[in-house]
Amino acid sequence: MKQIVKTITKKDFSSFVNSLINDRTYDVVGVVAKGKRYVFDTLSSAEELQLDYDVTILPPKKYYLPQTETLLKFSLEKPFEGKEIMNDTPRIIIGVHPYDIIALEQTDRHYLDQQQDNFYKKRRESTIIIGVDIKNVSERSFVASMKTNVTDSGFDLLLTDIGTNYAVTIGSEKGNKLLEKYAIVEDASSSDLKKIITVRNAVAKKYRQKVNIDKKNWSSLLVANYNHAIWEEHSDVCMECGSCTMVCPTCFCYDVKDNVSLNLKEGNRVRTWDGCLLKDFTKVGSGEVFREEVKERYRHRFFRKGNYLPERYGFVACVGCGRCGSACLPDIADPCNLINELGHFNSEEDTGKYFIKEETEVLEKGIIHVPRSATIKKIIPFNEIDTLFEIELDDKKPLGHKPGQFVEVSIFGYGEAPFGISTPPGDSPVFEIMVRQVGNVTKKLCLLQPGDKVGIRGPLGNGFDVKTFEGKTMLFTSGGTGMVPMRSLINHILDPKQRDKFKEVIILYGAKRPKEITFMDDVDRWKKVSNVQCELTVDRCEPSECWGGCTGLITALFPKIKADKIDSKNTIAVVIGPPVMYKYVIKCLQTLGVPDNNIYVSLERRMKCGVGKCGHCQMNGVYVCKEGPVFNYGKLKQLPEAFE
Amino acid sequence: MKQKPRVAVFDFADCEGCELQIANLEEEILDLISFVDIVSFREVMKEHSDSYDIAIVEGSIMRPMDEERLRGIRSHAKILIALGACATMGGVNKIRNQWMPEEVKKDVYGDANLKGNELFDVFQTKAINEVVPVDYYIFGCPIDRDEFKSVITAIALGKKPDIPRYPVCVECKKNENICQFELGAFCLGPITRAGCKAICPTHNSPCEGCRGLIKKQDTECVKEVLERYKLSYEDIRRRCTMYNYGRKECSYDE
Ligand SMILES: Cc1cc2nc3c(=O)[nH]c(=O)nc-3n(C[C@H](O)[C@H](O)[C@H](O)COP(=O)(O)OP(=O)(O)OC[C@H]3O[C@@H](n4cnc5c(N)ncnc54)[C@H](O)[C@@H]3O)c2cc1C
Ligand code: SF4
Ligand code: SF4
Ligand code: SF4
Ligand code: SF4
Ligand code: FES
Repeated sequence: MKQIVKTITKKDFSSFVNSLINDRTYDVVGVVAKGKRYVFDTLSSAEELQLDYDVTILPPKKYYLPQTETLLKFSLEKPFEGKEIMNDTPRIIIGVHPYDIIALEQTDRHYLDQQQDNFYKKRRESTIIIGVDIKNVSERSFVASMKTNVTDSGFDLLLTDIGTNYAVTIGSEKGNKLLEKYAIVEDASSSDLKKIITVRNAVAKKYRQKVNIDKKNWSSLLVANYNHAIWEEHSDVCMECGSCTMVCPTCFCYDVKDNVSLNLKEGNRVRTWDGCLLKDFTKVGSGEVFREEVKERYRHRFFRKGNYLPERYGFVACVGCGRCGSACLPDIADPCNLINELGHFNSEEDTGKYFIKEETEVLEKGIIHVPRSATIKKIIPFNEIDTLFEIELDDKKPLGHKPGQFVEVSIFGYGEAPFGISTPPGDSPVFEIMVRQVGNVTKKLCLLQPGDKVGIRGPLGNGFDVKTFEGKTMLFTSGGTGMVPMRSLINHILDPKQRDKFKEVIILYGAKRPKEITFMDDVDRWKKVSNVQCELTVDRCEPSECWGGCTGLITALFPKIKADKIDSKNTIAVVIGPPVMYKYVIKCLQTLGVPDNNIYVSLERRMKCGVGKCGHCQMNGVYVCKEGPVFNYGKLKQLPEAFE
Repeated sequence: MKQKPRVAVFDFADCEGCELQIANLEEEILDLISFVDIVSFREVMKEHSDSYDIAIVEGSIMRPMDEERLRGIRSHAKILIALGACATMGGVNKIRNQWMPEEVKKDVYGDANLKGNELFDVFQTKAINEVVPVDYYIFGCPIDRDEFKSVITAIALGKKPDIPRYPVCVECKKNENICQFELGAFCLGPITRAGCKAICPTHNSPCEGCRGLIKKQDTECVKEVLERYKLSYEDIRRRCTMYNYGRKECSYDE
């Protein structure tokens, strides 16, 4: 599409900006000096604007995804009250460089996908971007070699300094209206148009930082070097300071916390910038840290920019602004340097390996930050740490889940935590979860009483596609709390209405101690169903404990499977348990001859948003909360981080 | 109604700046006393009681008599909170641990005869947790009021307080500061626990490490950064003396 270009004298442009400021309809922000650097800040007059800046310390993402943002306000006194709040004034941002505009378009792809983030969306809609072509090149920027130095979309207006005038490219109707209302412009002449090109070309030649590998080849270059020594060499001097992610226009992971006012009466659920270089990013309640080594976290950031997001969305998620390079004290964060260095080692052979998974269809459109109100109906303790909760949605609508899906349970003031749903699908608004006490939310849940309110988001994630299991022998192996989602699936399959759709059912179930064997009533019931073999084991058992089953690891149960019952090619194996369990159980299954594509697993990672936004649950390029927690092992096994 | 928990505030060797931060909560103090009874707080009230559930202790331990008093406090309190750099890690009071107590005394008081005066019977400075177990730490010199509130509300709600374990740089970057290193200064932010909202670099002075180091001074990355900025191990050792003398790495995690 051919864009309309106008010109405005610099003097008239200043008046234009001043009239925008004086109008007070908008919060007018622009690039201003901060010492020898530049930042986006609210303008009090056009004189403050520094449109010939090189780069700002932080990108304009701070206006769309602020450093700290209140998602909802809640009351600790009322049984259940949580409200989404958002009261931003419309904003005009003046002076955004093309690479930052492109970074915002990339962020749109993530935040405005099937599950739109309302806060981000509203800000995007109520903000007008007046971009400006780059005039001065920042020392670390390599945008020219990334072809992100110019853009023809993503702005409402775009200025180019062509001498005494600015050329103004109109990018949207909103931009056009703004000009009509506030500015005196003229049509650009053909020589003005030529000047735009000349100016852009001249600036493009000034870049000293250049990436030597075309960005479309980053992905295969990285994959080929996943295990290269470079990750360790560089990360040896990483301070784990997170600066590289904080300053990046294409980093958008966040943490969520509940803050409570000092009177203990109300509070806010806020999200804040988080970064994958920080160790606690993946830490779960039990103390386990995924990507524990600095090397893994350091590599993750480059893979996210150069492989995971490109394979998912089709663009390299680095726009070459160079901010990370100048922010990193040991100077190891700059993708330009890293890719160039990797380029020396390796041809960009395509290994055919990609560490992502196709996006799955989601049930709910739009992220709902406010959970649905629900009431605890029944609380049944299994042992000192495991408790079963029966929960009813207050809107009396069915939860509408598949086996294997999970819900985020909220207690205002304490936070949110994901739990597998342990009841089979159905029309009831009542469902069950089992909670093991490890931290803030789980401990508080166990102090609640029947009648107390909790918040529910979900069902979330990708569950089991039970239809595809029909006509097969089913082999279930579960350890510890893995029985929670497994029970949903088993009860669904053993439902008399369904039972004859499946062949033999074999259930192997292990726990650490006899008292940690949960759902004993179900186990007893399953044992009575025809063509069901159910075997239990515990790791260890004190003489004082009463236990009739086996002792030993879960793998010890495999020899008990009656060989004649297993038609391995026609068996679907489902494995859910603690991370350490998978490797061993999958070996047993392979020995039995079950094909990898017939094996399904459900994985656990740290979660916050539950909808593929906050970044916490990633393993390689996969969001466990969205594309999982249920995965086909045949497809998953190529992800190095899945069973690390 | 359930009886409110009783809170007492105590101070040892310190400047009382952290207590002042609490006193400066002003109207919010009213919120605080809606769920706790403050039974002892020398800086703001005359009354004192020995019956309390929660002791908030400020300051470092310098003398046998301090130790004794602190043990007494610990025995009364169900929960003991160390408040501020002096209490949590010794802080500036540990600067003098570079020398023996006798030398220090001689330097300060000359030849005055202090024998037998227990007020001057000092040993090497100790943080609170070198004498008694501590349940919660509120770091900083002085403490950050918002963090104080968040720790107190967390304790009241039965949550684990959310104390950052990442460095000051994270907050500093969020504040969009020009890095002190870029300005030619030497900042301890990259190895210091965040939580202060990077107040020092935000006001254009480098971090002094008052919330405690979270990385050793001799790790590879620190050496690398020192070298890049033409600083020596001696430089960082000296810088860390201000708040972190004798402490290589924060030992309070988990
Ligand atoms: C898909 C899935 C299903 C799960 N099903 C169950 C279940 O059925 N029963 C059960 O007892 N536990 C289950 N867990 C683990 C449970 O979510 C954590 O134990 C819980 O989040 C700990 O929260 P906390 O606030 O008590 O602990 P804290 O240590 O205080 O954790 C703080 C926050 O970190 C995140 N987090 C911590 N640990 C985990 C974790 N293991 N997984 C994800 N996020 C975490 C949460 O956002 C949590 O609120 C499941 C986890 C996942 C990912
Ligand atoms: S990775 Fe670095 S160079 Fe690339 S967009 Fe982010 S901050 Fe800029
Ligand atoms: S900015 Fe550099 S030192 Fe800091 S976390 Fe990133 S790579 Fe590591
Ligand atoms: S000024 Fe200090 S705290 Fe801030 S980024 Fe630089 S080193 Fe980190
Ligand atoms: S910036 Fe450093 S010295 Fe300043 S308050 Fe924070 S931790 Fe203390
Ligand atoms: S992306 Fe937020 S939990 Fe998965």
